[in-house]
Order: sequence, then C-alpha cells, then structure tokens
Amino acid sequence: MAIPAVAVYSFLYLYPAIQNLAYSFERWDGVTKPQYVGLHNFTYLATNDDLFRKIVGNNIRFTLIVVIFQTALSLLFATFLLKNTKTTILLRVIYFFPTILSSVSVGLIWTFLYNPNFGFLNASLKAIGLNKFALNWLGDSKYSLYAIALTQVWFHTGQMVIIYVAGLQQIPADLYEAAEVDGATRWQQFKNITWPMALPTTAVVVAYTTIQSFRAFDLVYSMTQGGPLNSSDLIVTSIYNTAFSSFKYGYASAQSIVLIVVVLLVTWLQRRTLRIDYGVK
Amino acid sequence: MKTKGRTSLSALRMGAVTAIAMALVATTITSTQAAATPKFGVACTTEGVSTGTSTTSLVCQKNSAGKLVWANVRLGQSTGKPVAALTAAAGTIEFHHFRPEDKAVFQTIIDRFQAANPGTHINQVIMNSGDYTNLAYARISANPKAAVFVTVRGGQFAQFYNGGLLKDLSAERFVKQNVIQSALTPGTVGDKVYGVPYQSLFNDPLYNAEMFAKNGWTVPTTWTQTLAFCKKVKAAGIIPFAWPAATRGNAGQILNSFLMNSAPDLATLTSRIAAIDTGKADLTSDWFTDIANKYKAMNDAGCFPPNVTGYTDVVAPADFAAGKAAIYPTGTFGMSTVTNLNPSMKGKIKLMSLITVDTKPLYEGITNNTFILSVNAKSSARDQNIARAFISFLATAPIAQLYAVGTSQHVSIINVDYSANIDLLNTSDIMGKKLLLAPRFLFNNVGTVRNPLEDALIAIGGGADVTKTLADSSKTIKQGLGA
Amino acid sequence: MFYKWTKNILLTTFALAVLVPSSIVVLGSFKKDVEIYTKPLALPKSWSLDNFRNLIHTGNVFTPFKNSVIVAVFSVFFTLLFASLAAYAISRMTTVTGRVLFILFSLGLAIPGQVNIIPIYHLFVKLHLTNSLLGLILVNIALTLPISIFILTSFFKDIPREMYEVAGIDGAGHLRIYRSIALPLSRPAMGATGIFLFVICWNDLLYPLMLITQLDKKTLPLTLIDFRGEFATSYSMLFTAIMVASIPMVVMYIAMQRTFVAGLTAGAVKG
Repeated sequence: MAIPAVAVYSFLYLYPAIQNLAYSFERWDGVTKPQYVGLHNFTYLATNDDLFRKIVGNNIRFTLIVVIFQTALSLLFATFLLKNTKTTILLRVIYFFPTILSSVSVGLIWTFLYNPNFGFLNASLKAIGLNKFALNWLGDSKYSLYAIALTQVWFHTGQMVIIYVAGLQQIPADLYEAAEVDGATRWQQFKNITWPMALPTTAVVVAYTTIQSFRAFDLVYSMTQGGPLNSSDLIVTSIYNTAFSSFKYGYASAQSIVLIVVVLLVTWLQRRTLRIDYGVK
Repeated sequence: MKTKGRTSLSALRMGAVTAIAMALVATTITSTQAAATPKFGVACTTEGVSTGTSTTSLVCQKNSAGKLVWANVRLGQSTGKPVAALTAAAGTIEFHHFRPEDKAVFQTIIDRFQAANPGTHINQVIMNSGDYTNLAYARISANPKAAVFVTVRGGQFAQFYNGGLLKDLSAERFVKQNVIQSALTPGTVGDKVYGVPYQSLFNDPLYNAEMFAKNGWTVPTTWTQTLAFCKKVKAAGIIPFAWPAATRGNAGQILNSFLMNSAPDLATLTSRIAAIDTGKADLTSDWFTDIANKYKAMNDAGCFPPNVTGYTDVVAPADFAAGKAAIYPTGTFGMSTVTNLNPSMKGKIKLMSLITVDTKPLYEGITNNTFILSVNAKSSARDQNIARAFISFLATAPIAQLYAVGTSQHVSIINVDYSANIDLLNTSDIMGKKLLLAPRFLFNNVGTVRNPLEDALIAIGGGADVTKTLADSSKTIKQGLGA
Repeated sequence: MFYKWTKNILLTTFALAVLVPSSIVVLGSFKKDVEIYTKPLALPKSWSLDNFRNLIHTGNVFTPFKNSVIVAVFSVFFTLLFASLAAYAISRMTTVTGRVLFILFSLGLAIPGQVNIIPIYHLFVKLHLTNSLLGLILVNIALTLPISIFILTSFFKDIPREMYEVAGIDGAGHLRIYRSIALPLSRPAMGATGIFLFVICWNDLLYPLMLITQLDKKTLPLTLIDFRGEFATSYSMLFTAIMVASIPMVVMYIAMQRTFVAGLTAGAVKG
C-alpha cells in the first residue's frame, strides 16, 4: 500500500538527494561534461569564498533573530490570549491571518511599507516624532537583513501563538490557583509554572521556526534579491543564484550540502539545549 | 500621542496633495506642438520633437541664431529608395519566434501577407524567451519548414551562424534600401548581412520635456552640465534622476551610458569589458574606478533621490509620471509604464543622451534590439522564397508602422510614420544620433561578474565608499570566478 | 494595572500591525496609484473596479489562477491519497518494514526540500517536465509526502486497534479496511492536512520559478513576481493582483477557520 508513496518519494526526493551529493564533487556548468573535482568545491567554500561565509553568517543571524523574537512574542501573546473569550478568539484569528498569505505577497506588501521615501512605516514613524528611526530599511546593507527578519516575524508569529495557546491550555489550572494562594507574583508564576510546563511546546515552536527561517527564500527573493551587496542573501538564495545565474551547478550543490549540515547541526543543538524529545521518538 | 500623530500625518498628506494638485495643473497646460503643422524653417516650440524617420522628416532644433525651427532630421539612412515587398510562391512555412505578446500583431500582418499572396500560408510557432534560448537551435536546425525565424543579438545569433542556418541576405534590395543601415550591425558578420534586426529599443534616459520647458531647463550635454543641472533641479524641489537603484535590472540601464564614452574607441571598451568579465582585470582598475567616481559625483551633486538604494522601479516611474522627477533613466520600454500611470504624460516624454565626458562624445546614445529576422539556409528554395518575401513585407513602411504602433516600439525600417503614437514619434529622432549597441550586455558572466559589479555601482551611487566597495566587490568577483 | 495596560497596548499594536497593511492592500486595489502613495489608509475616492478590469485585460490573471488551482488541487489530492495509504501501512505494520519505511520518510523531514533544486531541475529537463503543470504537481507530491505521512501516521496510530480488528475478523483485506474504516475515521485529520498542503502548494515560489518560464504555465506567485520585473508596473495593479491571489485562501480561512488553524498548526506540532 505504501508503494505509490515510496515510488514517488524515492524517485523525486531520495534519488535527487543522492545525485545532489554526487554533483557536489563535480565542476559542472550544465552544458559541458561534468568534471570530477573531489573535495575541491568544499575546500574552496571553506577557505576561499568570503561571500559564502558571509551568507552563512547572515543566515545564522537571521535564524537567531527570528527564533528569539518570534518565540518570545508568541509566548507572550499566548499568555495574554489563553482564555477563550470572544475578544481573545477574535485576536487569535487576526494574528493568524498573515500565515495564509503567500510569502511573495507578504514580501511585496512589505516592500511597499518599507519604502524609505513615502512608505507607510517611515511616514508613521515620522508622524509620532521618531524621525531617527525612519530608515532606508531595505536599501541599506546595515538594516536589510533585519528588515526581512521583522517581516518574517510578522508573517509567522500568529501561527506560533496558536501552537502556544494549544500547549499552554494543557497546563492544569489548579497549579496557578495554588501559586496564587501562596502569593506568587505573575512573574514567579510564569517562571515556575508556565515556562517549564511549556517547554515541550517551546521546543516545537523553536524547531519549526528554525526550519522556516532556513527556507525564507521567497521573502528575500521578492524583497531585496539578496541585496544590497549580498547583505540579505541567505544560503538558499545563494544556492539558487550560484546555480541559475552563475551556472555553477556542482558548486551550488556543495552549498546545499553545507545547508543540510547547518540545519542538522542547529536542530541537534536545539534538542540538546532544550533537552526535549519532540516528534520522532 | 495618537492625536499628535494624526495631525502631523495629515499635514504630511496635505503637502503631498498640494504637490499633486500642482502637477495636475501643470498637465492641463497642453502642449501646442501637436496643433502646429511642421514646415521646414518655420518656428517650433519643443526642442527635439520630430515627425518621423523618413528622409523628409523634420525635427525641432535650434538654428544658428538660437531659435527653435523645424530642420531636416539627420536620421539613419538606407542606401536608396525603399522597394515594395517581394511576391511569394504558394506554399506553407513556419515562423518561429519568442514574442507571445506580439502574436496578435504578427497575425494581422500575416493575414495581410496571405491576402496579397494567395496560396501562401505562414504559421506562427511561438515559444517563451527562456525556452527559445535553450531549444530554438535544436528545433529549427531539424526543421526546414521553419523557413523564417528570429534570433537574439550576440550568442544565439552566433550559434545559428556557426551552425550554417542563416542565409546571406546582403544582396537583397529590401535589406539595402528599406532598413536603416546603422541598425544592421547585430545581424552582420564581416560585411555580409545574415539577418534583419527588426525592433529597436533605446536604453537612454527619458525626460519630462514639458517640465524642462516650463522651468527653462536645457538638456545637459556634457558631464559638467549634468552635475550642474542636478544641483539646479534639486534646489527646485524636483528629483533630477529617478534612478531605480533598488531594482538591479533597471538600475543597470544607465551603466550603458557610463560605458559608452569611457574608452577612446569601441575596441578598447570591448576589451576592457572582456578583461573584467574573464577576471584578467578587476574593478579597481583606473578605468572602472573612474566610472565609479562618476556615480559618486552624481550622488554628491544630488542627482538621485534620498535613500536611492531603497528606490524601486515601481516608485521611480510613478515619481516621474507624477511630475516629481525630471528624468527617468531607463529606456524607451519605460514609456508605456509612465503613460499608463499618468495618461497626461503622453506626448511629453523625450529621450536624452547621458553624456559622462566634457570632450566630444564618442557615442550619443544606446540602442538595443530585441530580435533579428533570418531566413533558414536549410529550407527548400521555394520556402526560402516565401520567407524572403515575408521579411521584405515586414520591411515595408506601412507594415513596419503597424508593428511599431501595435507593440509601442521603434522599428529599424525607413520612412515609418510614428504619428499614431506620439511618444514613439517624439523619441524617434534618437535614430539619427550616433548610437552604441548596449555594452552592458557584453558582460557574459551575469551571475558571477555583472551582478556584483552593478551592485557595487548601486552602492556607490547610494553613497558607499568607492575604494572600499570596489575592492570588496573585486574580491567577490575573483572568488566567484575561481569557484 | 501596569500589567493590564502593557498587555492591552501590546495586543492592540500587533493587531494593528496585521490589520493596517491588510487594509492598505484591500483599499489600494480600488485606488489609483497617486491615492495609494498619499493616503494609503483612506477610503478610496470611488469604489472603482478599474484595477480589476485592467488586471483581467492586461495582466492575464485567469491563466495563472487556473494553473495554481490545477497544481494545488491535484497535488493535494494525490499527496493525501499516497500519504494516507502509506501512513495506514506504516501504522498497521509491526514488522521491521514499517520501522524502515517510517525512518525513510523521516529523513525527508530533516532535509529541507529546497536543497534538491539542482538535481530536480536537471532531471526534469531530461524528462521534458519543465514548463509542465504535471512536473510541478510531481514535485509538490514528493516534497510534501514526508510531512503528510508523519501527521497521518500519528493519527492512524491513535485509532484503537479493536476498531480494525472488528473488521479484520470478517476477513476483509487491508485495502477494504483502509477504505471503510481508516479513511472515514480520519476525515478531520485529512481535512486539516489537506489545508496545510494546499497553502504550501498555492504559495510555492521556488520550484515554479525554476521550472516554469512559459507564460501560459505560470502560477500566481510567479505572476506576482513578474509584476515587479524588469518592466515595472504600479502598486495599484500589484495590490489588486495580491487580492486576487489571496481570495481563495481568505474565503477558505473564513469558511473553515477551525480546520485551517488545525491544519497549519498540525504541520508544526507533528513535524
């Protein structure tokens, strides 16, 4: 019964993955015959390619920012929206809304908002006297990566709020009641009950956010295409450009192998630090 | 806090509303140009307007006394009086191209061709441009019925030529007498013509002629004048150059102008570009540093809007169309975008040359062509006859006019009347200038070389340090080429 | 008091952060460009449908819309079919094969699908599957199978064994048990997973960007990207196009909120 699934999966997932590994040992422009170069692509990536190192750095910074802010924000909002009242349900529905939009739409909308000269964000900042913060968001290599990270947080926080609400609602209410009887402050309740009890959910949120942020190709492509001066390039956009505008397929494959390693490493680190076994047992 | 926010936000809006109201008032002052019948030697009002691309065309120019009069236009010439279309044998051939957007216009033309040649049939075979690049050669070389087809300037044309697929058209009278000879270059190998470049683009800055006239501005013709112009226009509260630096594809159009006069001759320019493209030279060379410094000088002179690196090619034409910018430096293909945004801009857009030297410029403008029409050398004699007749039909003025107006682009055919499209008409005088085929496309390594190179120039145009940016980008390019 | 104020301000701010940009887009689709730039949040001077008319006339949104529907519907249908079959098999197999299959598909969860773009591209060029909706559907199925199998397996495992055994006694084959017991029971899970997959397929950019160049095969995200292409266009048209591209999702979201939220969070919780 699993035959159709196995067939499609092997042919279009596992087989390409293996081929990818094979390509990464080759120099290939897509036209002439591929040439076996051993580990050359990897050593070049590691020792000679400053741009790629910068891009890996970008990606790690991007992931860290998105994971930290998105997790903190969604946990905060989830504690606010825990009870099922009309208002909280409405707010959850609103917060969740961006999740259903396509990332291209989100990218294009935010390009409009971020416009430095007439964009809504700067106009609003100036209107409330924060002229200092009216930046050239996407056009300045100092801010572009963070501006995209902010969009990513806007995009997916609502989804994480829902996951957290589902998780937090599992915490027995009498724990809080007992704490209140003991005179525990809101912060103490959070620290001693909510945080430890929500740890499994946090692990899920963090893992999912991490994977999402390594896949943020669409946002970057529709907002900055990696610019200015590669300041917002991520590993996936680099793979795409190396393959489809520079026609270095072998080299791009090597980059994607690096991506796999980085993702696995980050996931493993998270599992270690959060000490939680989620998903696969 | 909130109320305060609202007031100042509405104040901001008020300002913008006033600006737009003023722009609207400005547009109601309609140009009187259209009403006056152009006559040789008679006074005219708007410099640069021309009546077309025929030998009898007139252009509004300053005479020796400094007055604007209709003068004979110095246009691209053919070598004689245009000839009528050839007659085609009966039969059916295929016409292969990559312009789905031109399908309807071509069909209209084909219908007329078939009506003029009973028993002859032409079927359009259309691929999108991406596929055409990859597959056209294989398909056409295996298909002698594809008697007439198009190729793209450069690599693809060379590929077809080397494959022996292009029939020599040098002897055809319609090639010599109907086509503007200077436009033939992309279809020429040695001294033989193997294809007719049909559609012409001009990647030169567009300017708002009405705004120039109202403010008494003249189009700068030297580098010093350009920088002075920027200071003057900026002081008047107008963006001098609406340069869409945030969008690489269109931001790179002005690079053509910077390149065209950067070397003593074309051969030197070509070899310098090739040297960078292959990694033999880098961006820190004197030649390229000089170009980069000019981007910086433009930024220093206030030529670009504030935060130009965040200025996209959605905003730039909008500012130009709303009368907030004097110049939109992209090309003729941007005209319809502008007139779609603001229909009252029709008839007010002109093309200028961006001259980056103070000496006599080598070139006065940039041209590019979208496709080259050729006859399949492997087709049967009868099919070749139909193909030749079809190209000769396309090369007659009325048909070329149909195509030009239908697609809002210029064509390389002589005596085409653009008066049905005032913007094509107003910009057609560029064909009389000394033009260079867009040199930006001489960079073959788009991903590894041209993109980082253009990114560096964008950053510098946005105020980044020249030396550091060029050094960093040179390193990126070098490492990219070595990978 | 302080807590309550902070809470309310934060909640309102984020709600506005979602509502304001959305309103700008919705309102903008009825406006002219000048109005969008100067008063993005004001009501349009007149509720004109010109932009929509223009979009239909020039932008040719019907074809990409149709393509997106075809790709999304077929991808979701076949993924659900293949995944549920596989998930049922895995959940019922106590043998080593079940474990091996599960680990095999789990591998797909660890490796982001994006890393396969290069081999998929070359494979599809060889198979003439570029510029083909079938190609996109196949890629979508392959990419979403692991996560779907993951979600559905955990669901099938929760179905009490007795329910299967009741049917098994009658000597029913696996296919019949799957059809008459597992499938009806799993309807909510299938619905949620289906929505999750639909959103992924509807919104995907990377693979269409790489595989589709022909105008008449483009999907909606690609068409949106083209709007910001070499030949620029306007925000009023862009916003209108975004509206058109988002309408199916918004309608589904409003109509099936619960399933939607369940689906899009199931993907996270289970994955």
